[in-house]
Amino acid sequence: MNAMKTALLLLLAASAITGCKKDDETPATPAPVNENEVLTTLRITFVDQGSGPVKVWEFRDVDGDGGAPPTITADTLLTNAAYHASLLLLNESVSPVDTASHEVWDENTLHQFFYQVNGANIAFTYADADDNGHPVGLTTDVSTTDPSTGTVKVTLRHEPDKGAPGVAAGNITNAGGSTDLEVTFPAVVH
Amino acid sequence: MGHRWAFFLAFLLPCRALLAQGGCTLVLQGRVLDEHDRTPLAFADVVVPELHRSVQADDQGRFSLPGLCPGTYTLKVAHLDCTPVERTVQLDKDRTIELFLEHHAAELQEIEVARKRPDEHVGQAHAEIDREAMEAGAGRSLTEMLARVPGVTSLSSGPTIAKPMIHGLYGNRILTLNQGIRQEDQQWGNEHAPSLDPFSSDRITVVKGAASVQYGADAIGGVVITEPVELPRGPGLSGEVRGVGILNGRGGGTNAMLQGGVKGLTGFGWRVQGSGRYLGDSFAPHYILSNTGLREAGASASAGWHGRRMSAQVYYSWFGRKMGILKASHIGNLTDLRNAIASGRPWYVAPFTDSIGPPSQTVRHDLVRAEAAYRVSDLDQLVFTYGYQANSRQEYDLRRGGRSGTPALDLFLRTHTGDLVLKHFIGTKLHGRVGVSGSHQENYNVPGTGVRPLIPDYTEESGGVFVLEHLPVGKRLELEAGARYEATDLRVRRFDDANIYRTPEHRFSNHALTAGASWTVRDSLQLRTSIASAYRPPNVSELYSEGLHHGTATIELGDPTLGSERSLKGTFDLEGQWLHGRLYGALTVYGDRIDHYIYLRPDGYALTIRGAFPVFRYVATDAWLHGADLTLEYRLNGTWSLRDRSSIVRGRDRVRDEWLFLMPADRTENALVYRRPTLGAWRQLEVTLASTYILEQTRIPIGLDFAPPPGAYHLVGLGVSLVRPLKHGELRIGLQGNNLFNTAYRDYLDRFRYYADARGADLDLRVAYRFGKKD
Repeated sequence: MNAMKTALLLLLAASAITGCKKDDETPATPAPVNENEVLTTLRITFVDQGSGPVKVWEFRDVDGDGGAPPTITADTLLTNAAYHASLLLLNESVSPVDTASHEVWDENTLHQFFYQVNGANIAFTYADADDNGHPVGLTTDVSTTDPSTGTVKVTLRHEPDKGAPGVAAGNITNAGGSTDLEVTFPAVVH
Repeated sequence: MGHRWAFFLAFLLPCRALLAQGGCTLVLQGRVLDEHDRTPLAFADVVVPELHRSVQADDQGRFSLPGLCPGTYTLKVAHLDCTPVERTVQLDKDRTIELFLEHHAAELQEIEVARKRPDEHVGQAHAEIDREAMEAGAGRSLTEMLARVPGVTSLSSGPTIAKPMIHGLYGNRILTLNQGIRQEDQQWGNEHAPSLDPFSSDRITVVKGAASVQYGADAIGGVVITEPVELPRGPGLSGEVRGVGILNGRGGGTNAMLQGGVKGLTGFGWRVQGSGRYLGDSFAPHYILSNTGLREAGASASAGWHGRRMSAQVYYSWFGRKMGILKASHIGNLTDLRNAIASGRPWYVAPFTDSIGPPSQTVRHDLVRAEAAYRVSDLDQLVFTYGYQANSRQEYDLRRGGRSGTPALDLFLRTHTGDLVLKHFIGTKLHGRVGVSGSHQENYNVPGTGVRPLIPDYTEESGGVFVLEHLPVGKRLELEAGARYEATDLRVRRFDDANIYRTPEHRFSNHALTAGASWTVRDSLQLRTSIASAYRPPNVSELYSEGLHHGTATIELGDPTLGSERSLKGTFDLEGQWLHGRLYGALTVYGDRIDHYIYLRPDGYALTIRGAFPVFRYVATDAWLHGADLTLEYRLNGTWSLRDRSSIVRGRDRVRDEWLFLMPADRTENALVYRRPTLGAWRQLEVTLASTYILEQTRIPIGLDFAPPPGAYHLVGLGVSLVRPLKHGELRIGLQGNNLFNTAYRDYLDRFRYYADARGADLDLRVAYRFGKKD
């Protein structure tokens, strides 16, 4: 059998197969993706209902998941004080900065913030309501008593069961849903 | 759908036999059979040189030469894998004769008779899912059909997503050939089920060994082949219509196929096929698995012509799927995952619905295949195959601010493949294939997702050469040896975490060798053994993944320095009958050494605004896998028999001296089978009472999983099937009940076992009508 002829045929085909690739146009350069759903910053502003100074707690992670670790700052709250606290969510990785808490408010029946206090003498009470009259937690009334230290875990649940026992009072145990955000602040009352 | 039925019916009417005319009216007909075991040799060529006439045998080896005058004729008979023979026939009246050929492949592997590629699995353990077995799996996914084979298990993500796992390996370590073309459908993802319609083929073969020489990269664990369809070569219409109703999920499926030839155009055949599945939410014993609906549709068309020296075939298939992903599997962070595991119930359960919401996936896969073959000489054939595939995938997640309708992942993958193979003989015995293959692949992230891509854009090109030769030694032994060399170029286009554009390039070159032997000890006992190396260049996901994997709440990081995986797998396969044919047994034992085995390993935690996430990095280690698959069937008497199918797999990390993650637990399926050839007007009654027992996986690495493996479970199933011959076809009916006692269980290989139980009791009823030429 004429092996030469066959080898030639194979070679021809090989060059045809590999040659095809050259014809393809240079692929387009992809565009960078600006994440439009990322949350980088959680800021809680405590406004003293008396005459005390404004206090701020902030969790900030501008480069998103991974990369540089986040920075967490929490001002000391005064003893026996009453604050009106408002929570702000930002996406600072895009320009202009996107205020993500608006989106949470737009879907207020699908979201709820929970404030779990551990060790510190701080009490959070919901001061807002969604379209069905259930709390959302973007604004809260905060009261403090004796000096103490501990932590406050702030959790945002997506699609919680807002009618479950204790959920309207801020108990996360029966809330269900999936977590969109979970940040723990060191809390000092002094 | 209505139009399609009308279309099929329109084809049923003008079906008439072709009658021979002319002065000479004698008919010579016959069968071409294997000399050793009288199995028919499909599509053998029968030539009458005196008359310059030739005819091709059908798939049962039958041929007919009408319109002959009385006289003496020479018949030359050739078959792809046989030495041609000549025979002289005296014709004075109509005659029916039998022609015998010495068929090398058939004597080794009766399973491969009538194959276009009869010599590909010498020495390799393999199993086949034929039309009947596929029919029993109607309405189920490809993976569910494959999982009936011992040694094949299913890696699933809830009730809708399942990927085949062969001997403990899955994903990029299993190669899928769709109509003989390497399926490229983002198979790196654990929640990416194969995008193909099993009913676009008549037969699925599972090769349970390393097969890189034959098929190229990725065939480390095994190969799943949906065989190219054999088109009819003569006139006559045949077809099949099938329907299945599925209780669990309250849905069903349908499939229809029609094929035929063209009168007066010998060798020309065509086939069209379409199928669909529709399922709503599945039920677990205690709750509904919300958002696990599925819609699937596939259609294919092919046409081919088979001449004396030339043949050509074109094939096109389209496949589309939309499926829901268990909503309770959407979790926000590690706390949610721990809560889900602790509560033992899905966090989201809603009333039954067949609508699909986020999270969900849509996939579309298009395949074009063109093949041309040219018979260079009586024995040597040159085959060129070209394949084009386009895979489009969108994954939708639960997103804030009305973005749930925007895919979070939108990928488009386009692949061209080309192969040129020379099937040849060197002398009269040594035969095999030598060839070149190449592929070109582009992956695009379709813009507009608003999410950083999980895998980057890339271009991958590869080219390879291979040779695979077979040597029959005597009548009972066949040897095989082969080699392949392949080089792959990968050019990646991505933005790094600082949003700087990078275009890293990688080149991987690999080789594979194989050697095998098949020995037919006696007619009812066969031994096969092979040792084969295989390779797999790292997938782009293993090199460049960067980000959060929602299904498991882990941050996954790729490693661009990873190299190719290399595997050396030895298999020993024994198949035979003992006790005067009452006992059938098949045993496969294997060992697989994989160097540079790539897997995800935990590497601390990352604190994000959504809470803490475990970080997993792709790392490489050296692995050793071994195990055994066993099938036994014992015939108690003419009607009753007992069947056992069992398999075990062990996987060790040789570097860390620990077990490998996600290895199948030991399993055994035992069945009592009742068969009766006739029951009144019905035929082939088969009743199967099956017990499937899956043990708890106790061989696990420490610290790689979020929850301990679920316990052992036991499922009972009952199947009944029977056939009713009709005037122009046959009616086939089957009833299959699975998990009859509605047992609540979770499987170790179900990645959604953290969130919910598996499906509960299920009942399928299927009806099929076949008509036309039997095969």
